[in-house]
Amino acid sequence: MPLPDRFRIAELARQPKGWTTVSLLSAAILLLPILSVLWSGLRPANENWAHIRQYMLWDHVLPTIRLAVCAGAAAGMLGVALAWLVAAHDFPLRRLLRWALALPLAIPPYIAAYTYSNMLSYTGIVQQTLRGMGVRANQAWFDIMSEPGAVFIFTMFLYPYVFLITRAYLERSGGSYVENARLLGRSGLPLFFRVVLPISRPALAGGVTLVAYETLTDYGVVNYYGVQTLTIAIFKTWFGMYDIDSATRLGAWFLAGILGVVVLERLLRRRRRYSETTGRGTPLKAVRLTGAKAALATGACLLVLAVAFLIPVAQLAQWTGWTHGTFAVRSEFGRLAGNTLKASLAATAIILAVSVVVANTARSARGAFGAALARLVTAGYAVPGPIIAIGVLSLFIALDRLLAPLYAGMGTGSAPLVLSLSLAMLIAGYVVRFMATGYNAVEAGFERIGTKYAEASRTLGAGVTRTFFRVDLPMLRGSLLGGAALTFVEIAKELPLTMLLRPFNFDTLATKAYQYAGDERIYQAAAPSLLIIGIGLASVFLLNHLAGSGQK
Amino acid sequence: MRKNFLFKLVTVAALTAVFATGCASGKAEREGGGEKVVNVYSARHYDVDKQLYEKFTEETGIRVNVIEGNAQELIERIKREGESTPADLFITVDGGILNSAKTAGILQPIESETIDSQVPSHLRDKDNHWIGLSTRARVIVYAKDRVDPGELSTYEDLASDKWKGRLLVRSSTHLYNQSLVASLIALNGEEQTREWAKGIAANLARDPEGGDRDQAKAVVAGVGDVAIMNSYYVGHLAASENPEEVKVAESIGVFFPNQETTGTHINISGAGLIRHSKNKANAIRLIEFLTSEESQATFSSANFEFPVNPKAELPELLKSWGEFQTQQIDFAVLGDNNAKAVEIMNEAGWK
Repeated sequence: MPLPDRFRIAELARQPKGWTTVSLLSAAILLLPILSVLWSGLRPANENWAHIRQYMLWDHVLPTIRLAVCAGAAAGMLGVALAWLVAAHDFPLRRLLRWALALPLAIPPYIAAYTYSNMLSYTGIVQQTLRGMGVRANQAWFDIMSEPGAVFIFTMFLYPYVFLITRAYLERSGGSYVENARLLGRSGLPLFFRVVLPISRPALAGGVTLVAYETLTDYGVVNYYGVQTLTIAIFKTWFGMYDIDSATRLGAWFLAGILGVVVLERLLRRRRRYSETTGRGTPLKAVRLTGAKAALATGACLLVLAVAFLIPVAQLAQWTGWTHGTFAVRSEFGRLAGNTLKASLAATAIILAVSVVVANTARSARGAFGAALARLVTAGYAVPGPIIAIGVLSLFIALDRLLAPLYAGMGTGSAPLVLSLSLAMLIAGYVVRFMATGYNAVEAGFERIGTKYAEASRTLGAGVTRTFFRVDLPMLRGSLLGGAALTFVEIAKELPLTMLLRPFNFDTLATKAYQYAGDERIYQAAAPSLLIIGIGLASVFLLNHLAGSGQK
Repeated sequence: MRKNFLFKLVTVAALTAVFATGCASGKAEREGGGEKVVNVYSARHYDVDKQLYEKFTEETGIRVNVIEGNAQELIERIKREGESTPADLFITVDGGILNSAKTAGILQPIESETIDSQVPSHLRDKDNHWIGLSTRARVIVYAKDRVDPGELSTYEDLASDKWKGRLLVRSSTHLYNQSLVASLIALNGEEQTREWAKGIAANLARDPEGGDRDQAKAVVAGVGDVAIMNSYYVGHLAASENPEEVKVAESIGVFFPNQETTGTHINISGAGLIRHSKNKANAIRLIEFLTSEESQATFSSANFEFPVNPKAELPELLKSWGEFQTQQIDFAVLGDNNAKAVEIMNEAGWK
């Protein structure tokens, strides 16, 4: 009796239709807000558009490209170099640094920007100390509020994306390549440039893409440092010229440009797939460094850690001390942290579930369809938050209108808006915006596994679903947790969506920090900022613990 | 083992998601129920606002629900929510934006004799669609040790050659600058303002960067001699936890420009009554409360803003600046000119 039943289920599951349907459905839902943005690029332009094109477009396009390229390249180099250092070498403090170097991820770049500019400002600790020593400093030495300053901030606080992904990749699967190269006599820089860099390309591309997106859609840092990026142009148009149509239009072109570049990169990369030949990738064996080399390695890592984590956190702690007595809403901290956790966890769970389904479909589809599907569901990451927010808001209000008769039937009284006043709207916004962090991690995981195990399982008669649960998912565990931690930290730091899509009386740590920082009250912003960092730390610790136990 | 763990993880995550969303939608604010509420969409986010709301609830039993956000985004949200909007009040900084809310058709007249008696008519919309809550002045600050205040006169003068390489101001992205330029367009005309903006851009001691406080610090540090900034930041510097910032506040002088001519530019915060408000009476009561003598004194002492209620007590620092003439133009004009102001600054190369 049970036999035919089992056969039938297997038969059904062999059809990938279910997967494709679910993927397409989630993609469609995610895409609605994004498409509504793209659509606006096609509507006829109004009278402001000529001005925007003449005076704003190029002045904002060039700095945007410069910033994204410089920050992406710098963060990429730093991230890969550090990953290579801790993954393939043994030196004092390595075990500590291996995870500590991911910590800067917990600091929102705009908080870092405010912290550094304040520390280096005339009234900050650096110049104050110098004046105490009788040195009258030239202000130009400390001028961090500029384009190079913004590159510095993005590099130091976003490199962990590259570091984490590349480190995980090298540690798990870099072994065979590197061992062989070492046997063939490569070492030092040639080994790094000729072997490590090329094999890390998928991981590196994933990390750098995240850094570039973050840079492109940032508003806090560039606004404060006076860097004229396209995001600034969008806000000038919307908030200054009161022209939301032209602002969305700019956003649409911006998004189209990014999608173009990304799809092009994908197509070029498609021909180069790295998939291990000898079963499971060999873990990398660390080479022990001694003497000056060891000291140099430890020193370099500690320097990065100090600049990107210890110094700003120490400074924030000092400021928190200053405001401790005057801080009026200390009692609210529990509630703020609770809100942050609740919204971030819910959105992270949904993002991972959708990522797994869509990535599994996309990889078996391969080709242009798979690539397009993958790029589209993650496109939210490339759109400035407020533009996405408007898309999501319209969608939810429309949904509420649609459901109005149902609400009336359920007797919710005179409340015509239910969904759009609930946390569901904010969570949906997060999902649309942050699919990329979860998805890239899951996709990298699938790429690492390759398709051979799944193919073997299918050949042995298991269906797609069964294969997925029995073969792929267990192997994906590490990538899933990594993706979850990254996504969670991202969402906990998020600002513009939270501002526009939150329900009544819903403050998070990020909105609280911004409330003060936006009003140039950085000392008051220190306490909630430290808490955001604390939550981020918890997630990095968890990630490290799980990754550590999963390794051996 | 591993598989088990993963399934647990996924299940827990999924349950958390469902639970969180469910909880939240169950808690959606419902108006018109037994409880008395007023729903506020606010682009002002200061601790003092919150304290005043709490005091209002204590006195009246009316609960204040707040969504904070950026002004233009909130306007967009109210527009899209249409008739079903839960919002009763829209509170923001800047008369131009208040006026854009009015022209977007989301406000309605506020009828209250108490308010009319508490707030002078030039600090209200002419149809009472919005009521001023507080103001800040866009002043010139100067290095006391290097600049004789006798050198200073008007905003217009800052574009003259004598300030070449000596002037500091933040970027044109900020509303305070857009609003100032919008007011100058109204007073001096578009052509003259275009020339003026070019003069300002040419006189800058450095490319615009940072906020208003940073301009004051740069003056003391010697990057430039004079800066255009908002009066209430001077108050915040003087009250700072960092003794170095207090020194900055002590080293700069505050000058109210255009006293002999058109008056100093002021920025106004205000509250507008939403057209589709469902708790209109409560909303009006909140405005009455916020413009009362006592609340106004609280605004002023906590945030160094100028009260709109002339009877309210000023903090010492604001008193020490003395009386000053303000620009006498309709705030609605600032809204109308804002887009033009952005264009002019873009063309002048004021970053």
